[in-house]
Amino acid sequence: MPEYVVTVAKDLEDLIPVFFRNRQKEVEALRAALTASDFEQLRQLGHRMKGVGNSYGFAQVSTLGKQVEDAAKTADRVAIDACIAEYAEYLANVKVVYE
Amino acid sequence: MSELADPRPVGAGRRAQQPGFRVLVVDDDPDMCAFLAHLLRQEGMTVQTAGDGHATLVQVMSSPPDLILLDVMMPGRNGFEVCRELKSDEATALIPIVLITTLDDQASRVRGIEAGADDFLSKPVNREELIARVNTLRRLHETRRELEGRRLAAEIDRKETIRRAFSRYVAPRLADRIIHSLGDKGELFEGRAQRIDVVALFADLRGFTRLTERVEVGEVVEMLNEYFTVLTEAAYHHDGTIFNMAGDSLLVGFNVPFVQHDAPIRAWRTAQEMVSRFAPTAAVWQRRTGFVTGVGIGICMGEAIIGNIGSPHYMSYTVIGNPVNVAARLMQMAATDEVLICGPLYEHLKDLLPAGGVQARGDVTLRGRSEPIPVYSVKISSAVG
Repeated sequence: MPEYVVTVAKDLEDLIPVFFRNRQKEVEALRAALTASDFEQLRQLGHRMKGVGNSYGFAQVSTLGKQVEDAAKTADRVAIDACIAEYAEYLANVKVVYE
Repeated sequence: MSELADPRPVGAGRRAQQPGFRVLVVDDDPDMCAFLAHLLRQEGMTVQTAGDGHATLVQVMSSPPDLILLDVMMPGRNGFEVCRELKSDEATALIPIVLITTLDDQASRVRGIEAGADDFLSKPVNREELIARVNTLRRLHETRRELEGRRLAAEIDRKETIRRAFSRYVAPRLADRIIHSLGDKGELFEGRAQRIDVVALFADLRGFTRLTERVEVGEVVEMLNEYFTVLTEAAYHHDGTIFNMAGDSLLVGFNVPFVQHDAPIRAWRTAQEMVSRFAPTAAVWQRRTGFVTGVGIGICMGEAIIGNIGSPHYMSYTVIGNPVNVAARLMQMAATDEVLICGPLYEHLKDLLPAGGVQARGDVTLRGRSEPIPVYSVKISSAVG
């Protein structure tokens, strides 16, 4: 499995554990919304990922969020499913370096 | 709605500035709230957070912040609606609002401008940009607050100056009421003259003319000041309005400029107090000069004309009319420590006047008048121990 290294500002260190717990919850929420074919919920979740990811320094979260948001607009289940899988894999392997 | 605790110790790495500058961060994503709050606290600001539009409005009404960072995309009331509502309320319209939109959402910015937003931030949020924008709005806010503080201080000074000036003409409590009723243009005394029922009281110093022949001019002025101080305090004690001070006589009006439903009683109490307050002064003067002095008073009630009378160059807030003329004549007739009252006023006061202390003078034709009027005399004891 590839390892993703993300550099985060040192002063944000205290916030990161909560940030990751919420991202894990987000994966579950994405899966549930896809199962329910709730594309509006998927769009909103993708939009939220897009905004919060890069703010903390996790560009990949924002990238995946935009893909989910766009795919939700066209109800593209396959693309969303792939994004969720990639998101879960990313969260499982990302390594944070504080500077 | 919550206040996020800053886990970092006070001091290290934190700038000790913007004391008291309060920012409300609104975002339905708790991670964005925490992130923005963290950055702002590092700048020494006090941060509160809200997770939706309703909580935001409640928070702003109960504790108005100095700045609001408002996310656009929220469940329920979105950021545009919240922004529009806050900007349309006079109480919150001046609170700067920074709308947080996504970078590629130009349409949101246009809607934000229409909703009254003061500035915009893009998600993902760049911390340098956030701090720069917030600090700019903070400086504007502080400048505006300072200017508002100066304006308020100047306004208070102006009103206090007017109050001090008025207090020399009307009772201090009346002066306060006048100041509070004044608009920025001072409408109260710009109005036309009007007819209203007044109680006019004229007071005059008895025996003073002879006394002045015995004392130096400078001393006369001092004595007059003593006398007028006593009478003025009595008039103000009962919220009378002093209209005229000439020679050694004083004209006081009641039920003007504000309604006093008990104006006859106020006038009577004032007369009593004028006599009793002046008695100790008269006693001192008598010991010093050998002359007896005292106060003679005439009081009458009826319809009079009140208003600014004069020319564009000199105006006087004046009361004229029958009750004033009658009160002046009664004052001239009154002996030392005697109060002469016209018939209509007596009807208002008869239950209040001392039993056996009132003498009906019958119908009297006053100088300059064709019809006689009923006059009553009340002698007030001014005995000084």
